[in-house]
Amino acid sequence: MNQKVNRLKYLTDGIIIENPILVIMIGLCPTLATSISAKDALGMGVAASFVLICSNIVISAVRKFVPDSVRIPIFIIIISTFVTIVDYAMQAYAPALYRVLGVFVPLIVVNCIILGRAEAFAYLHNIFDSFLDGVGKAIGFTLILVVMGIIREYFSTGAIFGMVIGPKFLISNPMLIMIFPPGGFLLIGIFKALINKFIIKPGVAD
Amino acid sequence: MKSLTWMVISLFLVCFIAAGLLSKVYTLTKIQIEKTQKNNMLMRFSEVLPGAKKFQEVVTDSLWIGFDEQNQKIGIVFEVTPRGYSGPIPILVGYGVDQMIKKIYIASASEGLKETPGLGLKVKEPQFKDQFSNKMYIDLKSTKDGGNIQAITAATISSRAVINGIRNGIDRYKMYLVTDSTKVIQ
Repeated sequence: MNQKVNRLKYLTDGIIIENPILVIMIGLCPTLATSISAKDALGMGVAASFVLICSNIVISAVRKFVPDSVRIPIFIIIISTFVTIVDYAMQAYAPALYRVLGVFVPLIVVNCIILGRAEAFAYLHNIFDSFLDGVGKAIGFTLILVVMGIIREYFSTGAIFGMVIGPKFLISNPMLIMIFPPGGFLLIGIFKALINKFIIKPGVAD
Repeated sequence: MKSLTWMVISLFLVCFIAAGLLSKVYTLTKIQIEKTQKNNMLMRFSEVLPGAKKFQEVVTDSLWIGFDEQNQKIGIVFEVTPRGYSGPIPILVGYGVDQMIKKIYIASASEGLKETPGLGLKVKEPQFKDQFSNKMYIDLKSTKDGGNIQAITAATISSRAVINGIRNGIDRYKMYLVTDSTKVIQ
């Protein structure tokens, strides 16, 4: 019984309590770069989620054969192999999708979340748990990315997912700061403050 | 000793499997990728030079001559990449035999355009880029400099880069409009 609760926790932890962006604070570079519009954010989130879940499963499957001293090179080879396969397959069989996501795929290789989860979780846990952890972290990453994308796109262009819905004054005088990295940092800071205040009570975390 | 051997073998095995897998995926997808890219290029060419059905590459990756159904030369398509505000701006221009620009296509951000979103990136918007349709060489100046192209507010550098890039392209390639194409290709 206790085990079951624990397993569910692997999944749900990633969404808020151990959110990769807001709590673990890794993968900030692609976050700042791709959360300028909701569409880009969703694209990056989906592409990174796929690689994260796959690499978690494979790394967990081979963890007993991988010697400690060379684990990092092996993780990187596995991750970049996945990314390249995704890149080629998308380019060949889903060119329309590739036009939207193509620019983000190579970025995934340097996404610290994936290497971070391989090292901190998949290397130490079994396949099923690693899969759950991957799904949880992927949801958490994509969720925050899309929420940031919606907010940044709205304030900088008056549109969401490319559809103009904002008031006139916002369209003629957009808040340009939201497009640039400082806007992203500001949002991350606000989110982080809210999470610390309401969900992770000070002193309880760590 | 044993752990050292295993370390080498395991790393070798992982690399070997990854390399084999990648080469398989590469050959499997290569044909399809080339086909899609060619289709994309043809689609984009006939977009900037309406009416053209066949294209002949004259200068690798930067100049093509367009022919219609009766194999008549109707214009050229060339690519220029002037320096914008924060990087090159790849532009594809369709230039007709009547010495008028037909249409231009500006690469999207995922194809290498790095202009500032909200400012320089507006060169992609129809309001700016459709101004070039049916313009002659002499029109190609911003309204401030006595021409016929309205520059984007607060993005003068990007606007000028596009205008001057197209001017330079025409300077460089207009001779291919008049010369017989069979002589151009060696």
